[in-house]
Amino acid sequence: MIQKTPVIRIALTHLLAKKRQTIVAMLGVTFGIAIFIFQAGLMSGFQAYFIDETVNTTANIRIYNEAEKNRKSILAKRDTASSKWIVVQNQKPKDELNKVKNGYQIIAALEKDSRVSGVSPFLGSQAIFKVGIAQIAGRVSGVDIIKENILFDVSKNMRQGDITKLQTIPNGIILGDGLADLLGAKMHDNISITSPLGVTLEMKIVGINHSGLTEVDKSRAYINIRNAQKLLKVDGSYITDINIKLKDFNQAEELAKFYHQKFGFKTVDWKEANASVFSVFKIQNMVTYLIIASILIVSGFGIFNILMMIIYEKMPDIAILKAIGYKDSDIKKIFLTESLIIGVLGGLLGLIIGFLMQKIAGSIRMDIKGFVSMEYLRFNTSPAFYLFAYIFGLVATSIAGYIPARKAAKMDAIDIIRSK
Amino acid sequence: MGNIIETKNLSKSFHDPVEFQALKNINVSIKQGEFAAIVGSSGSGKSTLLYVLSTLDTDYTGHIFFDGDDLSLKSKNDLAEIRNEKIGFVFQFHYLLPEFTVLENVCLPALKLAKYSEAEIRERAYQKLDLLGLRDQALKKANKLSGGQQQRVAIARALINDPKIIFGDEPTGNLDSKNSENVFEIFKELKEKYNQSIVVVTHDMSFAERTDRIITLSDGEVVSQ
Ligand SMILES: Nc1ncnc2c1ncn2[C@@H]1O[C@H](COP(=O)(O)OP(=O)(O)OP(=O)(O)O)[C@@H](O)[C@H]1O
Ligand SMILES: [Mg+2]
Repeated sequence: MIQKTPVIRIALTHLLAKKRQTIVAMLGVTFGIAIFIFQAGLMSGFQAYFIDETVNTTANIRIYNEAEKNRKSILAKRDTASSKWIVVQNQKPKDELNKVKNGYQIIAALEKDSRVSGVSPFLGSQAIFKVGIAQIAGRVSGVDIIKENILFDVSKNMRQGDITKLQTIPNGIILGDGLADLLGAKMHDNISITSPLGVTLEMKIVGINHSGLTEVDKSRAYINIRNAQKLLKVDGSYITDINIKLKDFNQAEELAKFYHQKFGFKTVDWKEANASVFSVFKIQNMVTYLIIASILIVSGFGIFNILMMIIYEKMPDIAILKAIGYKDSDIKKIFLTESLIIGVLGGLLGLIIGFLMQKIAGSIRMDIKGFVSMEYLRFNTSPAFYLFAYIFGLVATSIAGYIPARKAAKMDAIDIIRSK
Repeated sequence: MGNIIETKNLSKSFHDPVEFQALKNINVSIKQGEFAAIVGSSGSGKSTLLYVLSTLDTDYTGHIFFDGDDLSLKSKNDLAEIRNEKIGFVFQFHYLLPEFTVLENVCLPALKLAKYSEAEIRERAYQKLDLLGLRDQALKKANKLSGGQQQRVAIARALINDPKIIFGDEPTGNLDSKNSENVFEIFKELKEKYNQSIVVVTHDMSFAERTDRIITLSDGEVVSQ
């Protein structure tokens, strides 16, 4: 069959004349892309999961009050104009150090803000959990569970029980599953919690929760905010944090600043709160992509190598084509096409193998308990990711093909013809 | 009748391994529709001259006018287009793409020119192959043909785009007298019927004597024309 564009036909003929080397070069690309899909897919799948679990358990914006370390004495506050020295010895931190004053008024104001989709008050405390003789130190989160659920979808992570019990049963408590395991506690068991101030409350387990974050699940329990206030011996208006969920979490940074100005308390947005995690991800990604890039460079050498071989062997072909009027650019196209054929086919096979590797590795039960707990490895399987890997591979092959192609294009036909 | 090609003080030197002047001050012109033979002893510069005239070799001094245009002013791409459309070349050693069929080889310049549809190109290729008695070989791989057959395929390929001028470097060198005679008749017909110019390097004096004109080279100089 004669083809309209002999370029492709010529390219194919060259490759078919060197079947074994072509296949080796293709497998190089296949290997590179498969590793790409597997490795980077694992990395980004894990990161997405981690972001889901961590970042989504972080409020879009948190309003809190931080202890002023060098609090001015009341005297100094009153007497701002004078240049007198005022020294107050042994100044003690105030009890209501971390209180967000007028917290419930701020919550009411925020609930009217059209950019906000949920607001939840919070009061946390250290606590010792006791079941029989088992004793474990952890933290209790005093929350309004219905509001908390709007922000963090607590009900989704319930292993047992029901979040509404926290409201209906006055001394209800929801334990992290890790914590429950450590205590050997089960649903409906009684449990006592003791605060650092020595207050002890007798509670009843109404739910077991699994957030996926191992550390959190091993140490945290939800209780009603009123009980938290009792533990800390404070009044019913005392809260330390206000967590906010926004309709658009991308506005977090900007609105955090705005609320800081408006209410005068410290604010932190989710990105800032997780800055260390994101910087770890950045380094992880860099290392992953460096590894992948080096694999693809090796695949590139395979392509480079086979093209150089073909070019030296097919010098007479190049000379004839030039002599009958094919331009340098046509010659370049022939060899670029060859590298692209290797890249396209090798890459496709790589995508398939990468996909299978993901499927197989993803179906093995791992029960990873580290940083986050996962039963199975999670991969990024989005089409955009596969497309990205494929394009990455094609770019690498094109670069590897470009150098030999340019060399072929530059060859002097007459030198070749004379040397025959 | 105008000149299809004309040289002014055309010289060419090789620099490697030693300085060697292969063409010396050549002034020749070929008219449109002229059938000329270039003769001379081995090493006299016949092939060198043909490569320069056919725009393949651009490393020369002096001027070559092709169809009135000074070739030294043309870009590489322009020269490739001229070769594709207006020049046919048959090399001293047959040069075909070995893994392609005879038909495909003949079609290659026409596919590049893309003046005709694919079907027309194939039709024309068959005509040219017919002319050279190769129709039945059309679908064979080029490297399965004998030397003489390959030489004739190369001639068919040179004819496919109806070039203004055809250069042949001993195009009948591998042919028996019958086929050689056939090629001569083809060239003569191209000249007479289609006003194409033919320039042929040959050692065969009886062939040369029957052309319109003999250009004799000796040590890179034109000694008679
Ligand atoms: N690449 C080259 N480098 C140096 N000298 C060369 C080169 N090519 C050809 N020559 C020299 O140029 C001269 C002319 O060579 P050319 O090939 O044109 O001869 P020719 O007339 O075609 O001979 P023949 O009849 O044997 O084909 C010769 O002396 C040859 O040695
Ligand atoms: Mg010669």
